[in-house]
Amino acid sequence: MPDGIPGTKDEFVVQMKKITKVYPNGVAANQGVDFNLRRGEIHALMGENGAGKSTLMKMLFGLEQPTSGEIIVNGETLNISSPSVAIAHGIGMVHQHFMLVPSLSVAENMVLGMVPTKSGTFIDKNKAIEITKEYAEKFNLHVEPEAKVMDIPVGMKQKVEILKALVRGAKILIMDEPTAVLTTQETSELFVELKNLKNQGYTIVFISHKLNEIMEITDRLTIMRNGRSMGVYYTKDVTKEEISRLMVGRDVVLTVQKDKAVPKQTILKVRDLEYVNEWGKKMLDKLSFDVRAGEILGIAGVEGNGQKELVDMLFNFNIPNSGTVTVNGTSILGMPQQQIRNLGVSLVPEDRMIYGIAASASIEENVISDRSNEKRFNNGPLFNMKAIHEEADRLIKEYAVLCKSRKQHVGMLSGGNIQKVVVAREFSNDPVLIIADQPTRGIDVGATEFIRKKLVELSRSGIAVLLVSADLNEVMELSDSLIVMHNGQIAAYFDDTANLTDEIMGEYMLGLKHQSKEEVRRVCHD
Amino acid sequence: MTKKRQIKFTLIRTLVAISIALLVAALLIFISSGGSTFAEKLNATKEALKQMLIGPLFRMSEKKGTSFEAKRFTEILAAMIPTTFTGLSVCIMFAANQFNMGAEGGIMLGAFVSAMAAIYLPLPAGLHPVVAVLLGGLAVGIVMLIPAVLKAKLNVSEMVCSLMLNYIIMYVIKFLMNTYLADKSKGQIMSFPFRETSVISPIVDNKIFSGSKLTWGFVIAMIAVVLCGLFMYRSRWGYAIRMIGINQDFSKYSGMNVAGTIILSQVVGGFLAGAGGGIEMLGRYNTFSWSALPGYGWTGITIAILAGNNPYMVPLAAFFMAYLSKGCDLMATYAKVPAQLISIVQGVIFLFFAAEQFLSGYKQKLVVQSAQEEIARQNAAKAQEG
Repeated sequence: MPDGIPGTKDEFVVQMKKITKVYPNGVAANQGVDFNLRRGEIHALMGENGAGKSTLMKMLFGLEQPTSGEIIVNGETLNISSPSVAIAHGIGMVHQHFMLVPSLSVAENMVLGMVPTKSGTFIDKNKAIEITKEYAEKFNLHVEPEAKVMDIPVGMKQKVEILKALVRGAKILIMDEPTAVLTTQETSELFVELKNLKNQGYTIVFISHKLNEIMEITDRLTIMRNGRSMGVYYTKDVTKEEISRLMVGRDVVLTVQKDKAVPKQTILKVRDLEYVNEWGKKMLDKLSFDVRAGEILGIAGVEGNGQKELVDMLFNFNIPNSGTVTVNGTSILGMPQQQIRNLGVSLVPEDRMIYGIAASASIEENVISDRSNEKRFNNGPLFNMKAIHEEADRLIKEYAVLCKSRKQHVGMLSGGNIQKVVVAREFSNDPVLIIADQPTRGIDVGATEFIRKKLVELSRSGIAVLLVSADLNEVMELSDSLIVMHNGQIAAYFDDTANLTDEIMGEYMLGLKHQSKEEVRRVCHD
Repeated sequence: MTKKRQIKFTLIRTLVAISIALLVAALLIFISSGGSTFAEKLNATKEALKQMLIGPLFRMSEKKGTSFEAKRFTEILAAMIPTTFTGLSVCIMFAANQFNMGAEGGIMLGAFVSAMAAIYLPLPAGLHPVVAVLLGGLAVGIVMLIPAVLKAKLNVSEMVCSLMLNYIIMYVIKFLMNTYLADKSKGQIMSFPFRETSVISPIVDNKIFSGSKLTWGFVIAMIAVVLCGLFMYRSRWGYAIRMIGINQDFSKYSGMNVAGTIILSQVVGGFLAGAGGGIEMLGRYNTFSWSALPGYGWTGITIAILAGNNPYMVPLAAFFMAYLSKGCDLMATYAKVPAQLISIVQGVIFLFFAAEQFLSGYKQKLVVQSAQEEIARQNAAKAQEG
């Protein structure tokens, strides 16, 4: 492992030693992670979503505090209790989602929290503009000081963010997926600027999972997987294939017993789905696939490659620019959720706290949310409370939800039990198609196993299952056939998952390989 | 948190909020009371507080001592009638996360429409007040479609819209009264008298209770409380209203009709406010002479917040507010304290309830306590298994 040499230009500006972070909900996001930065380097922090990159950097920037471990900045052991402490020690962060006030000018945003004043009362706008111009020139980052932030392009917003950090005296810049929102041209512009900063002695942490960019711009890289560091490497010494293997491997292989699938008629038919997001980025690119009754079709891929957008389209949370989606021949694009559900479509949503539950309502109220209008639960204008109690108790028992009673607030349950409540509702309404989006993310092993078994059981009973998961283990174990998404396209289709390896998957997931049109076309069974 | 602790927390929070409010009130009374020396002022404050706190139920006289005063009690109950309705109205709208402030204009419009029905509709006794009150409620329910539909379809703030609507309602009524409907033979702006068939009669009418205005409207209000409770906790519509109030994204994803429910909550809320206005008007008055917003709608907001949007708690909260109001009136009469103080006391209580973070440190402690017990219990269960 490359080390720093004290007293030379290779000395460490940041050392994070044995960092462990356990969130209040019990998720261990970092486990004994070592991370260090040398002065004047561009250091990539790589890993899939949920690998713990952001958590690690949030601790360095003071947004989170480590449960245990040590952070040393410029030789001084620090307790970084808030971002202001981090800023005082020369650490700045450029967030993926810009932290700017849209209605204020660039110059005003630059000086937020450190406003220059005339005689102590009035904002000195000219001074703010002067400061902005001075820094823009010094670092060769061109911005328009007097333009309103809402009127400037994304690339310039990012420059404003970088300048903001520099004005506050940052010597170490943490950049959270800076290229995710940029066009190709803006990206190459950014790289020139970053190299320029590096030459002036600034240290940059570059969080990303785009291999080409990492190879182009970074000096060293740290790879993370499942909250652990997989090692530190010189960028010039490793190949893309090695990185991909380190990033997307499986640690523990949980196996689920399942018989061979006997797919029947097509239930979900997606054709030529296209979607361009509000920033003009193409998120779905002529996406076509089928899901048949009795099979589990898995969608693998690094997050942000169109999976979220796809699921949004399937449940009318968004409308595509073109393409068709049918369930048993009925087009569901733009259809109210009630009608989509009436067709027998169930969704286990990715974000269970936002879509999956009403946290301050009881378990009972949560499991009947999709069926409260059904005849069996109503006696004329009033609820049939007996039937509702029975339904709730039955589901709690069948899905082994650990709780005090059906009256307990769902928000009081553990993550795994909350997800069991969601799954209990979504699996029990006689679906013909289940869309399971990250069904076991962040929940305990017991609940994970339970939900996976249920999914297999349901598919074998003739239900079509679309499984979207960033968990390679899950998607490879559960799926009967599998597609890999990359850049809004299907990069690969495998009609049999038995002989797949992590290496093959990794290459398609990170865009190193792409199957031919004919091979991909096989996922449409018409 | 366990249910017991939840109740304990709510109870303690309520008591602390009221205590602080009373303390602030005592301080203000002390400052504004007559008397030149400290002892005199203290005595006056004591006297005033006594009037405010026990005066609504007991008559205090030097000669006869303290005695229960049934008439004052019935006056408090009578005062609860309109505020119970507005409280219910606000509960249902707030439960859906719809901050509609239209109960104030609603009660005035309901009173006006019912009054017109009482004057101009020739109907038999018994049926007449029922039709009049229903018309009042319906009128307001329909008017509330304006903020409700604008919110559901165009995402216009229902708060701003309904707030402005209150004044539109008030001025339209004033215009109609001044120009067309006033009884020109009277010295002030008032309508022709109601038909006798339209009267909502007092529950008891004897010498002791004469003029207390405790009408059958009170019984109707209590029935409305039960109906609203059933609606909110035992019907699919109330369920949808509450779920949308808790998490609108969840409700949409679950397939509920979010826009329709948002509209429904405000129409039902409007109906309740309007019906309350009608009942108040036909029970207490025999001509329509309101020329300004009556204030019951604002009280309704306080009541709904005190009741935690739970219809079953509305009578308690309404009683509390009516009691406090009566106490302050008495204090103004007998202890030379300005009656405006009630607004300040109300304001302080409102403040402490509206501030959700109030005593949140204490709540956190209870949550942690519960969590620790839970973990201990799980460990114990594991130990037993192992």
